[in-house]
Amino acid sequence: MRERVLLTGNQAIARGFWEAGGVVASSYPGSPTVEIMESLKDYADIQAHWAMNEKIALEIAIGGSFAGARSLVSMKHVGVNIAADPFMTFTQIRTNGGFVLVVGDDPGLSSSQNEQDSRFFAQFANCALLEPSNAQEAKDFVGIGLKISEQYGMPVIIRLTSTLCHSRSVVELSERTAPVTTSFIPDQARYCMLPPYANAQQYFMQERVTKLAAEATSLELDNYEDSGRREALLVTSGLPYQYLKELGAGLSVYKLGLCYPLPIARLKELAAEYSRVIVIEELMPFIEAQLQAAGLVVTGKEHFPFTGELTTERIKEGLEKAGLLPQSLKTTIDSPAVVHRSPLLCAGCPHRPVFHLLQKAKATVVGDIGCYSLGILPPFEVLKTNISMGASLGIIKGMAMAHEAANMAKPLVSVIGDGTLFHSGLSGFADLATTKHNITVIVLDNRTTAMTGGQPTPTTGELGEEPHTTNIAAVLMSLGIGDVTVADQFDYSSTKTVISDAMKRDGLSVVIVTRPCALNFRIREPHFYVDREICISCRACIGVNCPPISMQVYEGQSKKNSYINPHMCVGCSVCSQVCPVKAIKYSVARGEDQA
Amino acid sequence: MTTNILIAGVGGQGLVLTTRVISMVALQSGFDVKTTDVIGLAQRGGMVWGSVRFGQAVHSPLIPKGDGDFLLGLEMLEGLRWASLLKPASTVILSRETIYPSRVLLEKEPYPADIPASLTAAGLRVVCIDAHSVAEKLGNLRLANTVLLGALSTCLPLPAATWLSALESAVPKHTVELNHTAFQEGASAFVAAT
Repeated sequence: MRERVLLTGNQAIARGFWEAGGVVASSYPGSPTVEIMESLKDYADIQAHWAMNEKIALEIAIGGSFAGARSLVSMKHVGVNIAADPFMTFTQIRTNGGFVLVVGDDPGLSSSQNEQDSRFFAQFANCALLEPSNAQEAKDFVGIGLKISEQYGMPVIIRLTSTLCHSRSVVELSERTAPVTTSFIPDQARYCMLPPYANAQQYFMQERVTKLAAEATSLELDNYEDSGRREALLVTSGLPYQYLKELGAGLSVYKLGLCYPLPIARLKELAAEYSRVIVIEELMPFIEAQLQAAGLVVTGKEHFPFTGELTTERIKEGLEKAGLLPQSLKTTIDSPAVVHRSPLLCAGCPHRPVFHLLQKAKATVVGDIGCYSLGILPPFEVLKTNISMGASLGIIKGMAMAHEAANMAKPLVSVIGDGTLFHSGLSGFADLATTKHNITVIVLDNRTTAMTGGQPTPTTGELGEEPHTTNIAAVLMSLGIGDVTVADQFDYSSTKTVISDAMKRDGLSVVIVTRPCALNFRIREPHFYVDREICISCRACIGVNCPPISMQVYEGQSKKNSYINPHMCVGCSVCSQVCPVKAIKYSVARGEDQA
Repeated sequence: MTTNILIAGVGGQGLVLTTRVISMVALQSGFDVKTTDVIGLAQRGGMVWGSVRFGQAVHSPLIPKGDGDFLLGLEMLEGLRWASLLKPASTVILSRETIYPSRVLLEKEPYPADIPASLTAAGLRVVCIDAHSVAEKLGNLRLANTVLLGALSTCLPLPAATWLSALESAVPKHTVELNHTAFQEGASAFVAAT
């Protein structure tokens, strides 16, 4: 008997790639797909690489595929937007080594800035789309996807969703199929996409999709469950299929594995047997619209929400609304409304003093993507915009141009982390280098991609064990930016001076703050404590919003004083520096080196 | 019959490992298993929750509202928050740990008073475990979740030996013995509290 283990959807993708003889894999970290690359790195016979952004990751997989190797690239949904440029041209080429793009959508936006339905990229790019519904299928669909890719000469998209990525289910393991090793064989008509070679490929893309649609049912990716009842056929895919099974509605179900192109002929034939056809899918009406375009009478989104996750409860409500299930009420528990718990910066987070002093300076701050996006939340509420990776640099420029045109010029500040800077900030900096506007960019160089769990960046080197260390100041100065200052943000008052001085200067000024991520580098210094005899209960320390600091009534006292939980404090000292009466003290005597 | 266990806590409390251990034990005891962990942004001190479902055949990894059989609260407030997913009269195993959310740190809202009483008033069976004190006594605060697993194990039809071997494969080698002790202490604490 084969070994059966519990794997997350992400781990199953990695296992599937390994079993299918995968060779080249690349990714840029983003929730919910981070764990795919982390798992791939555990397989010694896979070349697995964290790329600098999703475009480069996808290009690496293209290179692998061109050279005949089975290749995989994984990313979160918004990453596909960045990688779309090479993807939309690569897809025209008759694929050599199997190519799979694994994308993690985030219905409900549990950790994303938008909720796009990435399935549309398959239709846009004339390529196949597979949607697994559990970890076993996630594993199997990688192998099947690579075969489709090679057989039909197209890239294949495997679409996951957050819950599928992070949920575990039972998977039967197989052995690895030995990869077929080749090297790149030049063929300009095949690999050089420009006229006239690219013109011919438009027909090729159409033909391969038509062929796959015709042969789709022979791939045995779909599953038809005939209940014997004829009032409705439910068409679904991915996790919603499992939610439907959970509900046990007793209706016929056609579960799709291949969601683009659809097996239209088969569905038409089945639909004729039923009074109604209802599509149950998360987010946009992707399947529904394809079926309608093919002339089928179907409904879907009129019963089910177009945003958020579809759960068993939401499917039940939808089927009730559609008149297919009787209304029923379940006895549930009344529990009181409970205080919300929003994420907050970790104890010792190097972003904290920067947000605190920008808040005090009442600066207008353009935000970017990373842990520092938490600067949007109370109590700081410092970041006033949040769009996409590296967007702060273009946005701040455009804002300055508009302000100038309106004669309302004022100093503008933006923040960007080291990960985001190397992901897509370099060209933004090159663009800003010669600006005459008063723009200050603060680079939060914490030496890691912190939000996604601490993947390396080019500045990780001197702290982690990475091969190279890039000096951001040197990089920016080489772009022709002269006004670059490096500051230690745990020296609160001098950093405050550096930033407020920079904000007074016209042109681009850059301030690089260099304290590393406390969580990733496990920084733990002796804790601080509050000397209650000195504390005046002014709450200045509470304003830095650090998890260990709260107001407490000490034993035998009546009014509250601040209190630092010694188990949680990692000794960054920021609260002690904002205390106006020096009531917050270090728990050990400071040596000169720690002054 | 599916057994539905909810696990709720705060980012950084080790919820993912806790869910993994329960699910391993259920799989090794011959059940079909599905789990989920809601992570991501929530890692930074936000709320995290997970589920383990086991039985003959499990479809959804999520527990439908009103179907939860057990709730393991790694933190008091989070235990209170997720109780509404439980079946009436089901069991809440609650750590006495409190971690203030941002709004409480900022004095915008109070931390709820007497959470066990609120849960009892909602018709639930509440068993409080002082997991932190046990872990502290054993010399490692990270053992708190193992103490809670020991308490949970007394409620489930899963063999004790399978729990111990699952723990052995999930924790660092040098802490196996301590984890086994913490697990037994948790089981005893549950019995003592009921």
